[in-house]
Amino acid sequence: MHDVKRRYVIPGDKIAEGNFRPLMNVVKAGNALIATRIGIAETGRDGVKVIPLSGVYIPRVNDLVIGKIVDHSSLSWEVDINSCFSAHLPAQDVFGRDFSPARDDMGRHFATGDMITARIMAFDRTRDPTLTVQDRDLGRIARGETLKISATRVPRLIGKRGSMIQTIEQATQTRVLIGQNGIVVVTGRTPEGIKLAVRAINMVEEEAHTANLTQRIKVLLNVPDTPSQQEASSAPIGGAPRIESASEGVEERLEVEGEK
Amino acid sequence: MSSSRRSTIIVEHLRKQAMWDSLAKGKRLDGRDFSQQRPLEIEIDVIKKANGSARVKLGDSEVIAGIKVSTGEPFEGLENKGALIVTAEVLPTASAHAEPGPPDEEVIELARVVDRGVRESEMIDLDQLALVPGKIVYTIFVDCSVLNADGNLFDATSYAVVASLLTGKLPILEMKDGKVVDTGKTRPMPVTTVPISITAARIGDHVLIDPSSEEEGCMDARITITTTDESFCAIQKGSTGAFTVEQLKKAAETARTKGKEVRAKLKELENNG
Amino acid sequence: MTQTRNLIDSDGKRTDGRGIDELREVKISVGTVKNADGSAFIEFGKNKILAAVYGPREVHPKHMAQSDRCVLRCRYHMSPFSTDTRKNPAPSRREVEISKVMREALEPAVMLEDYPRAAIDVFVEVLQSDGGSRCAGITAAAVALADAGINMRDLVAACAAGKVDEKIVLDINDTEDKEGGADMPVAYMPRLEQVTLLQLDGNLSPDQFGECIDKAVGGCKMVYEIQKQALMQKYFGSETELQEEPQ
Repeated sequence: MHDVKRRYVIPGDKIAEGNFRPLMNVVKAGNALIATRIGIAETGRDGVKVIPLSGVYIPRVNDLVIGKIVDHSSLSWEVDINSCFSAHLPAQDVFGRDFSPARDDMGRHFATGDMITARIMAFDRTRDPTLTVQDRDLGRIARGETLKISATRVPRLIGKRGSMIQTIEQATQTRVLIGQNGIVVVTGRTPEGIKLAVRAINMVEEEAHTANLTQRIKVLLNVPDTPSQQEASSAPIGGAPRIESASEGVEERLEVEGEK
Repeated sequence: MSSSRRSTIIVEHLRKQAMWDSLAKGKRLDGRDFSQQRPLEIEIDVIKKANGSARVKLGDSEVIAGIKVSTGEPFEGLENKGALIVTAEVLPTASAHAEPGPPDEEVIELARVVDRGVRESEMIDLDQLALVPGKIVYTIFVDCSVLNADGNLFDATSYAVVASLLTGKLPILEMKDGKVVDTGKTRPMPVTTVPISITAARIGDHVLIDPSSEEEGCMDARITITTTDESFCAIQKGSTGAFTVEQLKKAAETARTKGKEVRAKLKELENNG
Repeated sequence: MTQTRNLIDSDGKRTDGRGIDELREVKISVGTVKNADGSAFIEFGKNKILAAVYGPREVHPKHMAQSDRCVLRCRYHMSPFSTDTRKNPAPSRREVEISKVMREALEPAVMLEDYPRAAIDVFVEVLQSDGGSRCAGITAAAVALADAGINMRDLVAACAAGKVDEKIVLDINDTEDKEGGADMPVAYMPRLEQVTLLQLDGNLSPDQFGECIDKAVGGCKMVYEIQKQALMQKYFGSETELQEEPQ
């Protein structure tokens, strides 16, 4: 992995010159590749990208998100997904094709203020995102402590193959639901555990770009330094569903340290 | 025309439930007691072009107040008194819900409630501020800008106004050949007393002071009580819910005891300033 | 403009003690408004200016949205206590014009096509004014936009130059603005080497014009270094080089 070159950049910085492909948050100007965001630039064989460290969530099809019902019309719910576009959950998605606004009571399912997990079914430049809750583990969230982190920190919070979040969950006896949009819901056995998990998550957000973050999280959580990754997949706690995103966003993480 | 509306901030049910559970146990979600304010930070004299200024942080609510002294005609019926005008603006920087443009009813209420506390307490002795009685008087503008809004703008703004008046300098003006002349000298503002407002929110059966914006999103009713050392001088009940008389009496007592603490803190600024 | 007194003394010092090519002290801090998506506070001489960015976000009213690009909205506003005599809080014609040129100075750098149907709002609040508040405002706004994580082709740095005692000087202050011979605010994208704001108040000969614009662009480059440092400090602390850890 060390054929990848990394450096800190701000918008307008020249990352590289030559025949590279601009992948993410990079524009090509003549022969130069220019960063368009603040973040960590990576120059690899397949191209040049900038992993951003700030910015609001931009929806992508298939992303799993956590949203808040903020309103409804007679045909759909409006869902705040912490983005520049508010999402719609069509009533048909919940009631089926023969949904009738006159007969079916939408209030029976979701009310303003409810939190839901949903998948982005459709979104493009011309339309607001449409959600679906028709999948296992999607729908209303019954309990838990919510917090908001920058969507750019989500990959770091998940970690390599889920290593970071598993460390936090195990040490604090909690389940952590993470939406790609930066909304996080924590449930757990004890209030102390939840509090500690929230502290750890906040620490990941604030120090996402720094080296040795995993070590420091382990110190905070009082975990011995090198647990075997096999033990990480222990029995689920608390019963809350876990979002494992199919989106490639999870793969783009900000790992700086060389983990084994 | 004022019409009823929904709160601009919708607090999610999970958070509301957590808040209710926590309040039932006597604690707030941020760990505070019901009668505990968020950390209060005051920095004075931040705007050199003003005749007095203060930047107040109450938790994450942040307000800056600046004084501008000029002269003008007295108000009708108050010919021998100077004029004191308090304005407030919630800048569009303050939150995603704040919009530029003329102030809406909430912002106007904010300015008027803060103004009332200063005016009714007679904090500033306006009798000392007439230059030519009936014709020319000092006009003191205290303009407030909310930079970041996280609940209880009433108290944050009020403290900014009081702190800037306590530490401000009144330019000494004189009449020369029918014209107002600035002597270049200053004196302290003619302060007689220090009004302190304490705002409380009722959520269910609980009354808690200094609500954060999240708590305001859950509150049923709000009360702002301004006291001086001696008396109550201004009250404003707000929001759509109601209080029992007992709750109000208790809130009044809290406003007096907490008011004393904040007053002591503000008076320290005056002594150091 | 005609000048009535000397603003540069025999030692070549200006009214505030600077030399003709010297910038006033500039300090930028990033992320100062908690609720905003991006923000910056700049002290540029005696200017104290706050810039906050919200967005990209939904457009209200909806009909203002554009289907193929983002709407950039900009407000430059002065607090009533920011000036020598109290300023009426209602927006003046001057503020409306500055809001417009400020938006047009920032727009070339912002990749609006990346956020169709959305809006980006930039609010610039002058808490204490000094000469050159529009340049300081643009400088802070560009930093706030970068802090908000909005795709940008380049930063925008701004600085004025002008004419005082028939000499071309960098970064006009309040007195020089009011009494001097000319004031030329310039905004500049340092990588793209393009000027995005150019105004002139006063009279310059053709030679002076060339000298003045060169000097202002030179000032923008100095300001850019300060912007860059402020952003780096906020995001990467004292580390300037990314440290790879040994395996």
